[in-house]
Amino acid sequence: MLKKAVGPLPAIVVVLAAAVPLAAQAPDGRGRAEPARSTRGGAGAGNQYTVYDDATLQRGKALFTAQCGFCHGANAKGGEGGPDLLRAVPVLDDENGNLIGPIVLNGRPERGMPKFSLTREQISDITAFLHEGIRAAAQRATYPLRDIVTGNAAAGRAYFNGTGKCSTCHSVTGDLRGIGGKYDPVTLQGKFLMPRGGGRGPFNPAETGGNPVTVTVTLPGGKVFEGKLQRIDDFDVALTDAAGEYHSFPRKGDVPAVVVHDPLQAHFDLLRKYSDADMHNLTAYLVTLK
Amino acid sequence: MNAARLLAAVALCVPALPGQILDPALLGKPATDAWPTYYGDYSGRRFSTLKQINQSNVKAMTLAWITRFTPGPMGATAIGGLGTDAIPAGGNEFGGFIIKATPLMVNGVLYFAAPDNAWAVDARTGRELWHYFWKTTGGIHIGNRGVGIYGNWLYFETPDNYLVSLDARTGKERWHIQIADVKQEYFSTVAPIIVGNHVMVGTGGDSLDVPGFLEAVDPETGAIQWKWWTAPLKKGDPGSETWPDENSMRHGGGMTWIPGTYDPDLRLYYIGTGNPNPVETGRGREGDNLWTCSIVALNIDTGKIAWYYQVSPHDTHDWDATETPVLIDGTFQGRPRKMLAQASRNGYFFLLDRTNGEHLVTAPMIETMNWSKGLNAKGQPVPNPAKESTVDGVLVSPPSGGATNWPPPSFDPETGLLYVGTSESYSVFYLTDTDPHPEGYGAAERGAGGFGGTVRAIDYKTGKTVWSHHWPSGGGGAAGMLTTAGKLLFTGDPVQHLVAFDVTSGKILWHAGLTANVSNGPVTYLLDGQQYLVVGAGDSLYAFTVEP
Repeated sequence: MLKKAVGPLPAIVVVLAAAVPLAAQAPDGRGRAEPARSTRGGAGAGNQYTVYDDATLQRGKALFTAQCGFCHGANAKGGEGGPDLLRAVPVLDDENGNLIGPIVLNGRPERGMPKFSLTREQISDITAFLHEGIRAAAQRATYPLRDIVTGNAAAGRAYFNGTGKCSTCHSVTGDLRGIGGKYDPVTLQGKFLMPRGGGRGPFNPAETGGNPVTVTVTLPGGKVFEGKLQRIDDFDVALTDAAGEYHSFPRKGDVPAVVVHDPLQAHFDLLRKYSDADMHNLTAYLVTLK
Repeated sequence: MNAARLLAAVALCVPALPGQILDPALLGKPATDAWPTYYGDYSGRRFSTLKQINQSNVKAMTLAWITRFTPGPMGATAIGGLGTDAIPAGGNEFGGFIIKATPLMVNGVLYFAAPDNAWAVDARTGRELWHYFWKTTGGIHIGNRGVGIYGNWLYFETPDNYLVSLDARTGKERWHIQIADVKQEYFSTVAPIIVGNHVMVGTGGDSLDVPGFLEAVDPETGAIQWKWWTAPLKKGDPGSETWPDENSMRHGGGMTWIPGTYDPDLRLYYIGTGNPNPVETGRGREGDNLWTCSIVALNIDTGKIAWYYQVSPHDTHDWDATETPVLIDGTFQGRPRKMLAQASRNGYFFLLDRTNGEHLVTAPMIETMNWSKGLNAKGQPVPNPAKESTVDGVLVSPPSGGATNWPPPSFDPETGLLYVGTSESYSVFYLTDTDPHPEGYGAAERGAGGFGGTVRAIDYKTGKTVWSHHWPSGGGGAAGMLTTAGKLLFTGDPVQHLVAFDVTSGKILWHAGLTANVSNGPVTYLLDGQQYLVVGAGDSLYAFTVEP
């Protein structure tokens, strides 16, 4: 079969001569636990990434900072002359130190990298630290959000009672009482932006919770059906009436007449109106409602 | 068109014809008795001159067959690959087995692919003829857009970045070559387009900061003929002035994950490139970041860039400009021109002169769009820096998924309208990586709600929407489109219907309920003198026809 090397940089040939694959290492003699070998896939990335225990990562970080940080940066993203290791092909392609180990032990004199006399265990810890850095960048669904509460709570309160007209439907001493204690700020922000899921898929009555979307269907003869909307598309509309009876109707253009009422319409309308400051301020205000 | 010549060229009993399955002279006059490329021809129009099925009889359109396909090694007639039978955990997180491929139809056989799998199907009956399975070593299994065909040989790409060539007659593997390194989070989904003796191979993947490229490879041997990187490789090279340093351009993304289009007279191959990396923050890559988020014209023989037009300078919202570069021949401001249109993920419609890249039209497609400060002198949207991700979040429309996305649009030369599915929604972009050199995405996105999907018919001369149809169900957005000389537009709604519209008025003329949403671009062809429509929805292909 044909194969070819791929890489934007001049092909990096890793010399494995005299290298002992670290993957084959035996349990070390110091009594510490083997690094965790469970893996984690998905989360926006395609590869399986090893999950390391905190102790391993802490040791790896300390060693890396002391031994490698001057050239490669304390976070391995590059420093005084050394490349960004989290983007380096030998690190990305490494498995259990098989590529990193020989480079550390032999150095890369042609590039000005000295050799390091580190133990297998130390190299293993450094390798874990680097692989965790790659995983943390690749698996975007795991990115931790920072403190998003930067807004002005007083301005948020004014928006709630004024421009935003939130107080038309909501009360901070009624339905929203204690809301700031119920949700973390990111979830809380998402809740007021769009209380109904992400609002991205087709209408799903199960997502409407206590605020059902209702529909009025008027047949050509004048008979009217009203109730909770179950489904609507170009060809059918379905509802459940007050007695719990399910009704569905074929739609042919404008017949029958269909009027949908969404109690969350104000939230949809606000999406087009919020400034980012409004969003930040309103979040800051709602967070105070403990 | 010369059906006899086309048939001769594609006849599977002829051993490995060096000639093209698709005669370049058929550009704009697509085959009627075959669907030999991802787009049906080289133009990206997905317009068929067939009109046996038309407005007067579409109501009588009926099911010819349905076939449900099962991916995996069970039942496969040939197995290749270097990995395992199972997709690694998490590899299927993007929705499982969905037919996103546009099937090819040549000599009564349909050919299509899904991640790790390829099939041949008797177009008359829907019966599976062979099923090839590739044992994967990983990669994101988000989709596969289909196969390319050249003589007796098929080509398809795998999530772990191999180009696999199969014998179309048997489904047995002929060879495979590695396109890219899966450990760097590349994954490959493109349907190869074959131009002359060039198999056009692209790739994808932006979880880590790796560079994009497009290759032409030899259809017989798989040897690389040329390779074009989507960003400059070193300081001083053209385009390098749009990056702060060599490190940023060599890790700058710009993937090539949708097939390009081709003009045989100009010998130019047109490709839309993906977003820059890091994806959702521009820190560490200050500048326009050429040639990411661009429409690029490459000389087919050399891979040299003839012109480019960047539709999203310095993108920070994951808006790949990979949507189909549709080739339009028509008049513009009174004179005939060779043009190229793109309904782009960033929310704008673009029209260019495809001989030289001259900008002709930029027009917004959706009303909610809020990220741009307006257009510059070249018609490029100017990003508003205030809408780049911040720690406390910014509300942006469209979200990263865009106003539209990869599902192919269609251009009807008879109406002069480009048909495209769009959606209007918002996301909040939170900066998570505050390092001066962020990596990966650098930010997190949370959906903030939206207004559902709309089919738009856009006048190429103005970019204005002439008619639109909003799906009342909510949801939806981009969906594959096909237009025909029967004055019909075929596409899917968000609730599992295949729908036929009047191309002129936007009135719905026919629909059928399927068991999943339409998930590919529909195709049409004549078989035994009868017109068929074939569409993929979820795990099944459906064939429809009007019985004579």
